Amino acid sequence: MFKNYIKISFRNLWKNRTLSLLNLIGLSIGISSVLTLLFSVYAYYIADEPIPNKDQIIYLKTVLKNGDDYNEAPYPMMEKVLSTIPSIEAGTHMHSWGNIWLENDGENFQHRTDYVDSEFFTVFDLPLKYGNSATALNQKNSIILTDKVSQQIYGDINPVGKTLIGADSLNLRVTGVLESISPYSSLRLGVVLPNTLLENNASFQKQNNWGNSFSPVYFKINPDVDTSTLKIQIEALVQEHYTDPTVIDRMEIIPFTELRTDAIPVVDIIISSSIVASFFILLIILVNLLNLNTSTMLSRTKTIAIRKVLGSSKKSVIFQYLTENGMLVMISILVSAILFLGINLPRLNDTFGPEFGRISFDITRDYPVVIGIVIVGVLSTIMVSIFPSLRFIKIPVTLGIKGKINQVKSNFLLRNSFIILQFSIAILCICVSIILNRQISYMKNADLGFDRTNVLVGNIDLDYENIDVAKSKFNALLNDLEASPYVKSVATSQSIPSDYNFNYSPYYDPEKSLDVRMRRSYADHNYFNSLQVPIIEGRNFDRNLDQPDEYPVIINEAAMRAFGWNSIKGKRLKFKGSNFVGMPIIGLVKDFHYQDLQNRIEPLVHIYREKEALANHRFLTVSVVEGQEAYVENLITTAFESILSRKRYVQERLTDKVSGQYRLIEGILQSVNITAILAIFISCLGLFGLISFTVKRKVKEIGVRKVLGASISRIVILLSKDYIILVGIAAIVAFPLAGYLMNSWLNSFAFSISIQWWMFALAGIIALIITSFTLGIRVVRAAIANPVHSLKTE
Amino acid sequence: MSTLVNIQQASRTIKSGGNSINLLDSIDLKVNEGDFISLMGPSGSGKSTLLNCIGMLDNFTEGNYTFLDEPVHKMKEKNRVKLYQEYIGFVFQAYHLIDELTVEENIETPLLYKNVKSKERKALVADMLDRFNIVGKKKLFPEQLSGGQQQLVGIARALVATPKLILADEPTGNLNSKQSQEIMELFAKLNNEGVTIIQATHSEENASYGSRIVNLLDGSIVKS
Repeated sequence: MFKNYIKISFRNLWKNRTLSLLNLIGLSIGISSVLTLLFSVYAYYIADEPIPNKDQIIYLKTVLKNGDDYNEAPYPMMEKVLSTIPSIEAGTHMHSWGNIWLENDGENFQHRTDYVDSEFFTVFDLPLKYGNSATALNQKNSIILTDKVSQQIYGDINPVGKTLIGADSLNLRVTGVLESISPYSSLRLGVVLPNTLLENNASFQKQNNWGNSFSPVYFKINPDVDTSTLKIQIEALVQEHYTDPTVIDRMEIIPFTELRTDAIPVVDIIISSSIVASFFILLIILVNLLNLNTSTMLSRTKTIAIRKVLGSSKKSVIFQYLTENGMLVMISILVSAILFLGINLPRLNDTFGPEFGRISFDITRDYPVVIGIVIVGVLSTIMVSIFPSLRFIKIPVTLGIKGKINQVKSNFLLRNSFIILQFSIAILCICVSIILNRQISYMKNADLGFDRTNVLVGNIDLDYENIDVAKSKFNALLNDLEASPYVKSVATSQSIPSDYNFNYSPYYDPEKSLDVRMRRSYADHNYFNSLQVPIIEGRNFDRNLDQPDEYPVIINEAAMRAFGWNSIKGKRLKFKGSNFVGMPIIGLVKDFHYQDLQNRIEPLVHIYREKEALANHRFLTVSVVEGQEAYVENLITTAFESILSRKRYVQERLTDKVSGQYRLIEGILQSVNITAILAIFISCLGLFGLISFTVKRKVKEIGVRKVLGASISRIVILLSKDYIILVGIAAIVAFPLAGYLMNSWLNSFAFSISIQWWMFALAGIIALIITSFTLGIRVVRAAIANPVHSLKTE
Repeated sequence: MSTLVNIQQASRTIKSGGNSINLLDSIDLKVNEGDFISLMGPSGSGKSTLLNCIGMLDNFTEGNYTFLDEPVHKMKEKNRVKLYQEYIGFVFQAYHLIDELTVEENIETPLLYKNVKSKERKALVADMLDRFNIVGKKKLFPEQLSGGQQQLVGIARALVATPKLILADEPTGNLNSKQSQEIMELFAKLNNEGVTIIQATHSEENASYGSRIVNLLDGSIVKS
């Protein structure tokens, strides 16, 4: 019997092959994108699974009086917490102190380096591939590698016991290799070193005090502990020990499981919109299948009636139908799996990989996704089969057998609501895509307050092998550049727009007793010239007038506003409780967008540092005469080739660097675009199927009307009018929704476009054009057909 | 000879708009095993409706209907399906073969629904193909056959489950006279073999093959 169902299913699918193909395409593409979205969500959620007891891990978050917060605490904090609070079982720092250079057989490697304490494995009980976690961190000169790093350095062998040379001088013994960790994990490790190694470091010792919060600290707590008590105990330690506890508003205890969303808030948006998008796509394909099934049901009523006459039970009619849809869905799932592995996953990695890490599919680990999608398939099959067949099974045999189905009013209201729903989603996506597109192009092309055309920037923080040789060669390059007729201006600085450090420091105005937290950077006398940022009060840095040891500074307008000054005249930046005379403010620079337009222009101070101070500057900025970029680029890269360094010199155009800030949001746009295209494409597949059926059913009517003198255009209008109206209604539903949605999103941008009516109009027109085209393919052919032929068919 | 169908004072009334229409009015009909009855009458006289009601595709709204002494009018749908699966075969004017199925599969379908085992099904279908001389056409689809051949398949399909009663609604309505004659001769032969047949027909000639004629007019049996 079952074999029979399958055989008949094949024949039916083949008989309606156009429809089957439409369904197959729609389903495959739809399911593959749902698969992609859900897989990335899944990969994200399981990423922290290998960390045992992660619910017992917490970290400290410092919240300042001005609302800023950070996940760091002073280094001595951990010891104090561990020795005074018994409900805390273990603790470890996990902080960076520059990424260490490692040498093995003359080859140099640099990876993300984290320094941790001896209880690291008590807090994070990560499985080791090689080595023993109980002893791995006992020795000062130990190093633990992640699987990936170990593979890169040693290949496929067990490296435990081998020695790496760290920072040219340290003999580091490999004591462990961590099992591979998902790139989506909260722990993004490379190599792990014990803090005991760092504690001898002179610059570390200088920072290691209660006035300096630089080290994230993690604790394993007793599961029964009352966190509010814990919070009070920790805050007491802050009051007791901090150099200046007054700036701290509170310490928060955050579960480790929240670290990821805490670090990259946009992840939440991506995850939730992925889920919403998958739901939408799924809804659209189901509606399609349902609508198309309903229309084929009309032509099936006769077969069903005959079968009933021959003794078929209702159950068996439904079962036949289930088999047929089930086969279609399962074939689609197979095709979509191929699409997913072959196209979607690589594309996903290309788009989001740089930001979040590349993910891969591993059946032994990711089989829940496969099970999930099969369950979705089965449920969808049941849904799209049961509803239409239940309705048609009710048609009396005596009517069905004569094909008199007009007496059974098809449920047009339901079908039309489905079409409206589909196209609302599609139009909503198009609106979002258009508005987001405008916003990104606005952010990329906006006047940022500095000149970025024909400006070359290069990172000069390269770990020079011999800093003195490097300095002299670098100075020679600077001279060459300044002498070149193609170079307008050369500058060195610690930061460039799009790449300023988040190094907030409090500055104090004693007259107003006001603390202003500002970011700071070092810049030479040419920095503002090269970027053409105007000085609106005072003067620019001047290499003849300014001495670096007097710390002359230039602040931006936002900083002046924050202090509430009208002029910078005679002002100095001071530190609270310090005897330092203060840094003289010699200039006021016009506000410029040194970070992306999602963020406000925050108070910023530039401190003077002479151009040649290679060690203090991270960037070389060269403003070039238009058309000569290639020549100058070549000049610089050649010079750097002769300077020995561990890192390679990389040069970019400032325009690209600025645009690069929006890579993540462009990735989101790309996803929205794909969703929009999918939504409209799949909806139109459905529409195409429906119109095909309408046309088939109305062949005779069209013929009669033509004989009675109807023009082709009248017939085209007659057939497509209803659908066009439905799309129109869908637009009316979608517009306010899109407006509301995008308004609230744009509000999260510090600088945003205002939504305009034409954006909606454009979305509507796009949807209408695509719909008309879809309908047109089918309808025009029917309208120009010779009525003689169509009337003969009855 | 035992009574197969016994209909007493049976009517079928439907509501159309505000009016109720009597499609069948106080029908009394007794069919014995081995009968070959022709229902005759003009279009709209109720021939098809009566056939449908006897075949349990429709219900009488009033009166009693017993089939092999079982009261059909009191039965649940499920039992009724079982009953006609077992005892009744249908032949239609428009053949009503299933387009997606081959000749062989069309004939096999009723057996599938009766849960006959695969081997037995094959044997029964082969018998039918033999008997109607259509072995060579068993792999063809209905659209590849002529009208007469399709009706042959239709009859084979009706007979395969060895019913006691064949209900034929204008079985030759779509056929030419030569094909008609062949089909009617087949019916007569089947009747001789003991199959009870009730056919609805317009044609006097077809009716002459039968043993008894029942004339219908406006839903009532015309006393002859």
